[in-house]
Amino acid sequence: MTGAPLDTDIAIETPEHIVFRHRVAGPARRCVAYFVDICICYGTFGVIAIFVGLLFIGAHAVGDEMSGLAGAGVGVLLLLAFCAEWVYFVAWEGFQGRSPGKRAANLHVVTIEGRPIGFREAALRNVLRAADILPIGYVVGVVTMLCTKRFQRLGDLVAGTMVVIEGRSLVRAQPIVLYPPATAEELAALPMVVRLDPDERAAIELFLRRKQTLGPAREHELAEMLVEPLGRRYDFSRRDPSRVLALLYELAMNAGRGDAPPSSRQSSPPGGPPSWR
Amino acid sequence: MALTSHVNEGAFAMRRQHDWTALESLVRHAQVHGVKRLTAEEIARLSPLYRDLCADLAAAQAARYSAPLVDSLQALTASAHTIVYGVYARSTSSRSIRFKDAALAFPRAVRRHRTAMTIAFLLFFVPFFAAFFASMHDPSFAFRVASESQLRGLTESYRAGFAGGRESGQGAMMAGFYVNNNVGIALRCFATGIFFGLGSAFYLLSNGLATGAIIGYVTSQGAGDNILTFIVGHSSFELGAIVIAGGAGLALGWSLVSPGEKTRMASLRHAGKDAAVLASGAAAMLFIAASIEAFWSASSAPDVVKRTFGGVALLLVLVYLFLGGRGGADVEEAER
Repeated sequence: MTGAPLDTDIAIETPEHIVFRHRVAGPARRCVAYFVDICICYGTFGVIAIFVGLLFIGAHAVGDEMSGLAGAGVGVLLLLAFCAEWVYFVAWEGFQGRSPGKRAANLHVVTIEGRPIGFREAALRNVLRAADILPIGYVVGVVTMLCTKRFQRLGDLVAGTMVVIEGRSLVRAQPIVLYPPATAEELAALPMVVRLDPDERAAIELFLRRKQTLGPAREHELAEMLVEPLGRRYDFSRRDPSRVLALLYELAMNAGRGDAPPSSRQSSPPGGPPSWR
Repeated sequence: MALTSHVNEGAFAMRRQHDWTALESLVRHAQVHGVKRLTAEEIARLSPLYRDLCADLAAAQAARYSAPLVDSLQALTASAHTIVYGVYARSTSSRSIRFKDAALAFPRAVRRHRTAMTIAFLLFFVPFFAAFFASMHDPSFAFRVASESQLRGLTESYRAGFAGGRESGQGAMMAGFYVNNNVGIALRCFATGIFFGLGSAFYLLSNGLATGAIIGYVTSQGAGDNILTFIVGHSSFELGAIVIAGGAGLALGWSLVSPGEKTRMASLRHAGKDAAVLASGAAAMLFIAASIEAFWSASSAPDVVKRTFGGVALLLVLVYLFLGGRGGADVEEAER
């Protein structure tokens, strides 16, 4: 929502002077992501370990000449244990900007300027895990997260990164449509021009979106609270406050010209010549 | 009172929807396949579409259009911003991934932090030699860092010599072990440096003591020649890497203790840039050390060959660290 910023929001200004907000992820969400990662990582490791174990038993059954193979298997296993501890996170975050667990928890690692991270950042923040995990169970990391405003653990502080909750989906929420459409009689009862300030408008919008999930009594009660100050400003009857709110919102939304002036920008049709501007 | 735009939301959205959809499909394409897969025309369209979207977002916010519209524009801006500027971030930060650059950046970073490296060197080698001579003088000193039975077993295996060599399977196993153990120790030694350098100092001291004591003990039991033959091949890589990892940790810690004219956090982030190079360089050295230690040090090659190899390796490491990338260093400094 574009309402009042939460204190876990970090505003980032782009070179175009557009400000958008990232919601930084707190310890709980990141703990879930970490748990998923650990399961994936050591689950895979376990499966391979069982396989090597069987190989080991098999090699002993066949005879000594196969023990070299089993030794190599143990070597591979140790190498994999190393990868699980040190390489897994670096590789995923370096290539993808997030590990599978973070993907599952809808998280993304970005730099504090809001850009995607590279290998250097991925390596730093994950090697520093060795410091965050001390003395046991990421106590240092969690304490550091609680002391910094971007929920950064030590690794994040050194690498200059933060973990943010993935932006809302690009799919646009459906605009609110008035149903049934306003009748002439209803419109006559309302003022011609309705001006709502942003807070009022946001409140009405929030109410209209939640309307279906409320019981009729609660709906009426909430609508009464919203309609009252508006009713004082514009003199109108309010038999059905919920309906009145929907009408007011519709009026306010359609304030201004409905016909767009010809665009100053010429949008090139897809596939057309590139517009160098 | 609210700012009322001249155009209402429906008309605004209808007029601009075409561009938004175009940008969205570009962004999605770039997210899935990477920016490099976009055609020249698509790249050329991306930037003006993105700038127009920024203007739209600003207009929508100023006109107080409804939350779903503003939210969706914001989400699209954020995704497009990542595509447009992410390329830059990636190309600068992964630049040192190129092998030649990385190989030159590492010794330069080592020399930039020569004070930290010297301290790390002393923190490792002073206790190393102290423990070495202490256990030479009195072998029971070594029992304080390792159990007696362990040390006796170790001595026996070194006394036996390397005539039998090592089976290749055994070598692969030990390679896995050395990577897991040694690289792990080095990375921990580096990472704990963030606690004002104390963690790194602790790892350097304790590892120096333990290594010195064990080698001293084995030497005092009369297997000194053999253990020297064993360690000479890989030790220059291995101990060099531990010292560098520790030095990187100390530098990281020092950036917190004495941030100079920066804030402590900014100073830490700045130190992190070099530290990343140093730590990954140290890890690479340890990979080399592990493969030498596993496949060469215990092999049945004659002692003379092994010692010559060790000498050459030491010389190479020193030349690389002291002279590697020299001359271009000014360029590197200026870039910072």
